[in-house]
Amino acid sequence: MKRFPWEVIPALAVGIALGLLYAWTIAPVRYVNTAPNTLRADFKDQYRMLISASYASTYDLARAKSRIALLGDTDPVQVLSAQAQRLLASGQPFEVVQQVAMLADDLQSGVAHVPPTASTGTSTSVAAPTSTPAAPLSGTETPQAAPMETPTVEVVNTPLSLGTSTPRPTRTPTPTAGAPFVLLSNEMVCNSNLTNGLMQISVIDSHHHQIPGVEIIITWDGGEEHIFTGFKPDIGIGYADYIMHSNVTYTVRIAESGTPVPNLTAPGCTDSSSQPYTGGLHLTFQRP
Amino acid sequence: MPRWLYSVIAILIGISLGLLYGWVINPVQFVDTTPASMRADYRADYVLMIAEAYNGDQNTDLAIHRLAALGGSSPVDITSQAIQTAQNIGYSADDVSLLQELRRALQAYQPEPPTMEGTP
Repeated sequence: MKRFPWEVIPALAVGIALGLLYAWTIAPVRYVNTAPNTLRADFKDQYRMLISASYASTYDLARAKSRIALLGDTDPVQVLSAQAQRLLASGQPFEVVQQVAMLADDLQSGVAHVPPTASTGTSTSVAAPTSTPAAPLSGTETPQAAPMETPTVEVVNTPLSLGTSTPRPTRTPTPTAGAPFVLLSNEMVCNSNLTNGLMQISVIDSHHHQIPGVEIIITWDGGEEHIFTGFKPDIGIGYADYIMHSNVTYTVRIAESGTPVPNLTAPGCTDSSSQPYTGGLHLTFQRP
Repeated sequence: MPRWLYSVIAILIGISLGLLYGWVINPVQFVDTTPASMRADYRADYVLMIAEAYNGDQNTDLAIHRLAALGGSSPVDITSQAIQTAQNIGYSADDVSLLQELRRALQAYQPEPPTMEGTP
């Protein structure tokens, strides 16, 4: 009977090692024709900012939508909103934040909102155009789902019904960039499901687009608080809130410009079983 | 068969197994890629986005900064490659025109000379 050739075992191991060395180090599989959905997270952020910048120039919503789809995000609107908040928090220029937020807003509404032009002063809202993406999206790539952004904000109330995005054929205002904000509405909110004394503030533009990154100053006798819109994107990118104390009178104003809104107090409400509780307010500011 | 031949065959089988595992079963994963590694048509669309943004803001510095993500070639070369790809795969005339406009701006771009602060 022949002896088993044990020297084959180390030879096999050496061969496997050489094969792996060649396959992983010397000549690894090269992915030179990658798709955007494989980009590193920071490059994906960069990609979204570029899509937003391009969209701010073209207002081609269909094209922006198809480009965003290339990144394979499961909820592009949420991802864009979260990115806008991160940009805002990291002190990026407001223009950049606004471009990303605007794309998120328009993707959500499905309508491209073209701002007034300086030359004509006309404003238009157009449904998503039918143009096709420039890049032929052929190939066999299967976009993999990007990790979901998980906002850390606590949801304390119900989403607001802002930004109805009603298409407006034409209007002829003068451009109002930088115009002071005005108080559009001041509503008492009696909803026992909300946090007691919740002051909800929404800031919108003339197209009912919510505006992120707006500083709001809340003052009261002996105190002052600065808050910003946009830190609760799941509620709205132009939303901010503050908890009022009972029997304290507040004044609210937009830091950028605007008339102070004085004498704001948490209203008294009663629930269905006639038990009293502290209600809230909902202020809506608009840049005309 | 000589015994040394067993070893040679074993090494060859091992190499084959290693390559099979390294290339097919568990290849190097490139999940964190860069824009520079994207397929030519995606790169062209990336440059088109830059051109569209440039058309709106006319900011050549920003366009150059954005093009840098596509690798070490010069911005003009990157844009030229994108134009070539765009023409090959049938971009609209408007899109090609935007790319050409960007290339013209890049060719004409003159970076500001550094200031000579602190020199007597």
